[in-house]
This record gives sequence, structure tokens and C-alpha cells, in this order.
Amino acid sequence: MELRRRTLLKTAALVAAGSAFSACKPQVHKLVPYLLPDDEIVPGLDVWYASTCQECSAGCGVLVRTMEGRAKKLEGNPAHPVNEGKLCARGQAALQDLYHPDRLRGPLTRDRHTGSFQSVSWEGALEQLTSRLRAAQGRIVMISRPVSATAARVLHEFIGIAGGRLYWYDPEADVPFRIAADRLFGPQGLPYYDIAGADYLLCFGAPFLDHWLSPVSHGVAFGRMRQARASIRGRFVHVEPRLSLTAAAADRWIPVRPGTEGLLALGIGHAILAETPGRAPRDRRGQYHRLFGPVSLATIARQTDIEETVIVQLAKELAAARYPLILGGGSVSCHTNSTPSLMAINSLNGLLGNIGQPGGVKVFERASTPTGSPPALWLTERTVEDLETEFVTGKSSVLLLNDCNPIFGMPPAVPVARLFVHASFVASFGRFLDESSSLADLICGIHHWLEAWGDGVPDIGLPVRTTSLQQPAVRPMYDTRQTGDVLLEIARTLEPSRVPLTSVSELLQSHWSRTTGDVTPASSDTWTHHLQQGGSWDRPARSLPVGNASLAAAPEPPSFMGDEQQFPFQLYPYPSMTMGYGGAHLPWLQELPDTLTTAMWGSWVEINPATATRLGIEQGDIVRLESLAGSLEAPVLFYPGLRPDLLAMPIGQGHKAGTRYERGRGVNPLQLAVAAFDRDSGAFAIAATRVRLERTGRKGRVTLLQQPAVGAADLIHIDSKPG
Amino acid sequence: MGRTSIGSRRVRAAAVLGLSGLLAVSVGTLYSMGSADLTVQDRQPLAFSHARHAGQLRIDCLYCHRGAPVSTTAGIPSMKTCMSCHQNVAKDSPEMRALAAYWDSKQPVEWVRLHRLPDFVYFTHERHLQSGLACTKCHGHVEDMSSTPRAASLEMGWCVSCHAAQGVSRDCWTCHK
Repeated sequence: MELRRRTLLKTAALVAAGSAFSACKPQVHKLVPYLLPDDEIVPGLDVWYASTCQECSAGCGVLVRTMEGRAKKLEGNPAHPVNEGKLCARGQAALQDLYHPDRLRGPLTRDRHTGSFQSVSWEGALEQLTSRLRAAQGRIVMISRPVSATAARVLHEFIGIAGGRLYWYDPEADVPFRIAADRLFGPQGLPYYDIAGADYLLCFGAPFLDHWLSPVSHGVAFGRMRQARASIRGRFVHVEPRLSLTAAAADRWIPVRPGTEGLLALGIGHAILAETPGRAPRDRRGQYHRLFGPVSLATIARQTDIEETVIVQLAKELAAARYPLILGGGSVSCHTNSTPSLMAINSLNGLLGNIGQPGGVKVFERASTPTGSPPALWLTERTVEDLETEFVTGKSSVLLLNDCNPIFGMPPAVPVARLFVHASFVASFGRFLDESSSLADLICGIHHWLEAWGDGVPDIGLPVRTTSLQQPAVRPMYDTRQTGDVLLEIARTLEPSRVPLTSVSELLQSHWSRTTGDVTPASSDTWTHHLQQGGSWDRPARSLPVGNASLAAAPEPPSFMGDEQQFPFQLYPYPSMTMGYGGAHLPWLQELPDTLTTAMWGSWVEINPATATRLGIEQGDIVRLESLAGSLEAPVLFYPGLRPDLLAMPIGQGHKAGTRYERGRGVNPLQLAVAAFDRDSGAFAIAATRVRLERTGRKGRVTLLQQPAVGAADLIHIDSKPG
Repeated sequence: MGRTSIGSRRVRAAAVLGLSGLLAVSVGTLYSMGSADLTVQDRQPLAFSHARHAGQLRIDCLYCHRGAPVSTTAGIPSMKTCMSCHQNVAKDSPEMRALAAYWDSKQPVEWVRLHRLPDFVYFTHERHLQSGLACTKCHGHVEDMSSTPRAASLEMGWCVSCHAAQGVSRDCWTCHK
């Protein structure tokens, strides 16, 4: 091409002009000073506060790093006896909860007819709530997430003054386990399983490394079991229909039939007694023989789908272990025979004589619990029907919710939404508009735990007497308050003489300066010392004698809803490892790959690859699951760690309401669950539903971090012959 | 191509040369200033003079930029620090009246930021002060400047040359954590 000088100059000019354009847009950065300097804040310097995480009921100690008044990072508190410096993903994600764009910024009222929301002042909100409580005249039902120590004291005092009943609600509370532990080990709170001291750990279902009760504490203990002792690594056998994260950490995974874990425990107990008849502790020998004696191993083997030889082998290993320890919970608690199964499982501890021994089950005295008031009951799904009748007949009138979401947590087969319709007035304390709070008449936006005061006693038993402190690490972002302060103010309005102190922080200071002077005389310095430390754990907890209750009757086989011919699969819903029941609104948890499948951001149906091949289903195919209660559609994910007759789905997604991150995302497997209950505890048996599977012919997508290897060579072949 | 007169060709040639020359000069000027910003952006909302405060009145740098010996950022004085003198001193000039107006309406003065490093650079004032460097070494003789420009380029080469001269770490991770 002929390039003329003129063309060259023109081109060069154009290029030069073009390069100058990028310089034209002004980039001004502002430097904005304080009006009044803050005493504590030096820009660029971090300030750390000790507090207690409230993302689950474990109550791990955290250290909060703040810069210029903003919380930047959470770390575990190394001094705290529960978590010893570690922190789980949900604790880390609490920062996103604090700074969530959809947080409630104050109180709202809702019109029941139009469904529209309106902002109100706190004065207006309190006035409305107080007058409704007065009119209710003691017919109040309060459902709260479980709290302890001062927060529990405030709730009990409030209910005592306003009149009514208080229920704890937490879908991950494992109520059947609490009932079983209560009966076997005594009503002192949860027992302490000395995992670190065990050398043979047999776990039935409890996902103690995933999210069961106090997973960080269990993880620390498990690490000690494996690595702290020079010559003992310990052996861990996990019994569960699905290969959970906890099962994946085991030396051996026993894929038992769902709901038959208690029967397997009977078989093992029987084999232990057959080996060593004198093994049972002398004082209850008759009871153990009555429980484990009349058991046919052949029947158990048939019911559980575990070989007789395997049962006998496990029994021999347990009997030979120096520090055997048995755990039970999690998936075992999702059936119609949960409580008796858990009692049979935990009776193995008694049979092996590890109660009160190193590496065994211990019961410790917990720090002070509220006295002089009836303990709160656990709200189970079966209770909801009774509550509905109460609200319909007017025996109960006002419903109060504190920081919980029962409409999402309970399966749709439970009529909990009807409570909201029949109650004359519903008030909710929470941080977001979710399925439950968006049906309330008054929605009080509350502080995040990083903005609020409190203290707590850890959920699980611990050998150290522990009370944990929670303090604000940042100023409240919005016009919110903390529930305890609001309830104290209302209680003071109703009965001024009975409520001397006006806020939770005042209550804390007065209590902590008085009663925790175990090292030095109580003074204001004690308060500061404990605030800086994050709580009090200055002395060992007193060991308590284990209860003398008689062992329960043997568990029955589980019942399932749905005819086996019409519904050939069993549904196995499990709380998502990453977000559980309550973390779907946090993007950090949504994008956290499920540890075993690496899937994220949605819902999926796990199917054994052999089953899928047999049915002609490919990974990603959208299938429809149907049960007697309903149906749903989701893409399929091959997962070899699953019994071939099960279909597993994580619980946590499928929100119909909520923040921008979880609304309309995924499906909720609980909508398939047919009403069936554990007889003893009244807990909903979410794994007692049978389903059928249909291909829709459509292709969907599961978001995976990496494609797991699912070639034929990777399939786990479940042996039906003795190995 | 048609015939054009010698005169119009000369005019056209001159125009093209002039234009490209102008562009070359402007691009060169911008480049030589060390950044693509324009000086008009450095104009502060109030005409604060370091020459008066740091020079004539000999107020120490750290009186206002208090964070420098302890923090990554030196910081700028709060409005209260300014008003602690200016509530009584030199109240009548237009600038002072403007400052008082900010204070009375509870608005902070939004200063234009002169020294800024990208997010991938870790620089801490504390370390540099603790090692004995004077503020003027990097920020220039601010006490002689009535309006404060950007004193140094703050580019990596400029930092590294001093690190080399002082014999301190030039490891990547020191500044790019």
C-alpha cells in the first residue's frame, strides 16, 4: 500500500490525540478528616475486641479486628476453651451479615390486609407492642433462638412479667439427642464426649466435624486424638447412610440403612456381651442384659444391611479398646425411632464402662443457669399443632419471635405459618425480612452480635467452667436495638418495681463485677479483665455424677412414609455443610464449595452413579422428585458416597423470601417431607420420606469448583460378600 | 488527486505540523509531570499554607499528622484541631470565615488527596519514621511551600533508589505483601 507522508502525519496526529484522551478525565481522591477526633481510633491502626460468635449455638470465642471503627476480620480467640483459636466458615462469614445491604434499619409495621411495610419510630413500636402485650393478659407465646446466661435471664423475666410461655427453636439443635442425653446422663446440659482421650471412636450419624453442636471444639479434640499422643493415633469408625465430611475423615465408613443405627447398636452390644458377659457394669447388669440380650444378630444384619461378621468385628474392636467412645446424633435424629436409637447407642458407653472415665462420657457442672423460672421447652414440629389450636381458640393471643425463622426451618407439612394467621398480633425481632418476619405485624430490626452486649454459657459440656462475654466491636450501623434492651424496657413499663436495671450492658456489668471474682476481689477491674479476655474460664468444672435413670426399651425399626413400590427411593436431606439452615443470605457461604462435591450456589440431587447408570440419567439432568407431600425439580449430581437406594439433598436453599442473595435460589428438600415424628421428642423425622424420581428430559447445571472424577473406576462398590 | 495551489498546500502542511506538535508537547508535559492528573485537580477547597503553619509558626509536622509515628497512615488533622487555634486566631479573613462556616454547619473540609499509593503497595509511615527519616526527605521542604503540591513521584523506582542507598530491604514481599 502506498503510504503518503500526509497520511502518515494525519495518522500520527490521530494516535497522539487518542492517547491524550485518557488523561482528560480527572481522578480526584478526597481526604475527609474527623470533625471531632475519636479517642480510641488511630487511622491505620487496628484495634481488637474479644467477643463471642452467635452464628450457631456453640458460642466460640472470637477476636474482632477493627480499623477506623469498622470490623474487618474475625479470628478465633486462642484463650477460649471452646474453640482454642480456631473459627469455622460460618463464623468468618458473620462479617457479611453485619454489613449486609438488606439488613433491617429500624422497626417496621406491616398491614395484614395490604401486606405493605412502613417504617416506624422505636417509641411507636414500643407503644404498640406494650399495649398489645397488656391486652393479651398472659396469653403470649415466645419462640426464640436458644440463648443462655444473661439473655436467657432477660427472656425468662420478661415472660414472667408479661405472662406466657417461652420456647427455644433451632433446626440444628438435635432435640432427640438432647432428650436422650437428658434421660441417660442427667438434666445438667449436654455431656462432654472426651474425643481427644479416646482410642476407638465409633460414631453413629453425628456429623461432629461438619456442624454438629460445636464443630470447632470437636475438630480441635479430633486433632488431639489423632496427633497429640506419641504412640496412639486412634481408630475412628463412622456409621451413616451417606459419606459426610465426618465419615470421610473416618478410618472406616459403615453405610448402614437409614434409621437402623439404633438396631446396629443393639447388635454390637449383643456381640460385646456374647464375647465378654461380665463386661456390663455391676450395678445395672440386669438392665444391660435385658437391652442387649434378646437380640438376633441375623435379624439385625438383615435390617441394617450390615454383615453379621462386620457387627461382630466392630464389637471385638470396641471390647479390646482401652478408651472406647460412642457418639450418636445427626442423621440418627431424623427418624421415627430417634430417641430410643440414641439411647441404645449411648448405652454402649455405659456397657463399655467409660462413663466418667478418660476418653469417655463425662458430665460437668455448667456455669450458673437461670434459677427460679421454668426452663424453656424446645419447640418441636409436633408442638406446633397444639399451638395452632391454642391460637385458634384464643387460649394464646400474641406470638413473639426472637432471631429465628421457623417457617423456613420447619418442613411445609408443619402448619407453623398458620400460627401467624391465627395470632391476634405477631412481633418479630430479627435482622432481615425472611419467611417468618415478613408475616409479622411488627418487625423490630435488631443489632448484629458484633454491635451488641451479651454473655453465654457454651452449649456442650466442657471440663473448664466457662462463661463467654460478647461486646460491641463497632457502633450500631442503623437505628436498631438489641432484643434484651427492648424487652427490659417493656418489662419496666409493665412492672417498674420488678426491673431495677434498664439495659443488658448494665446487667452484665453488675453481674460480672459481683460474682466472677474468683481470682481477685470483685471490682470494676474484674469486668475490664474479663472483657479483654473474652470471658471467664479460670477454674475447672466440677464433675457431676451421671444420672441413675434406667435404660430405655430397645428401639423399633424405623417407619417410612410412602409405599415402597410407588416410591422406590428414600430421601436423605442433610443440612448443607456450608450454609446450614440459616446462612444462605451470605455470599461467602454460597460460594464456599461443598466439601465433598465442590458444588455451590444452588441445589442438587445426589445420586449413586450406579443407580444413575441403571436409570439412564446423566450428571446435570434435571429430575423431578415426588413424595406424598409434594414435588420438586433439581439437577442431578453423581455422588458415589451414597447408598444406591438413597437420594440425598442439602438443606439450606429454596428460600421464597429473604435477601437478594438467597431469594428464589435453589429448592428446599423439606417440601418433600411427609409428616412423621420421633415418638419421644416430637421432632420431625425429615429422613422418613420415600420418593420417586422422574427424568424431565431437560438439562440443568450444577456449579462445580472442579469436576469430581466419576468414571466407573471411582465407584465405591458396596460389598455384599464378607470381605 | 487534483491540483491544489502551492499556498493552500503550505497552509495545510503548517496546520498538520502545528497540530501534531501541539499534541506532542501536551502529551510530553503530562508525562513529565509524573502522572496523568492535571494540576487543576490539586486545588484545595481552602487555601491552607504550610509555609505559614509549619514554616513561620514552626508547628511540628506531627502536631497535625499525628498517626505518622504509630500507624501506616499519617492522617490529617480533625476539624477540632484546626478550630482549637482558629476559634480565636485570625478569624476575619475570607478563608477563615469559610472554615468557620464548615465548623458551624458540622461539615468536614474535603481536602484533595495528594499522596496516594495503589492498593497493591504496602507502605507504612511508622516504619519510616522509626528508622529516623525526616518528613521533608520524602515530602520536600513543605515549610517553604505556600500551596502544597505532590512533592515526589512516589513511583517504585524512586522508593527503591532510596532503599538501595540506605541499604534496607528491596525484597518484593516487603512492600507487596
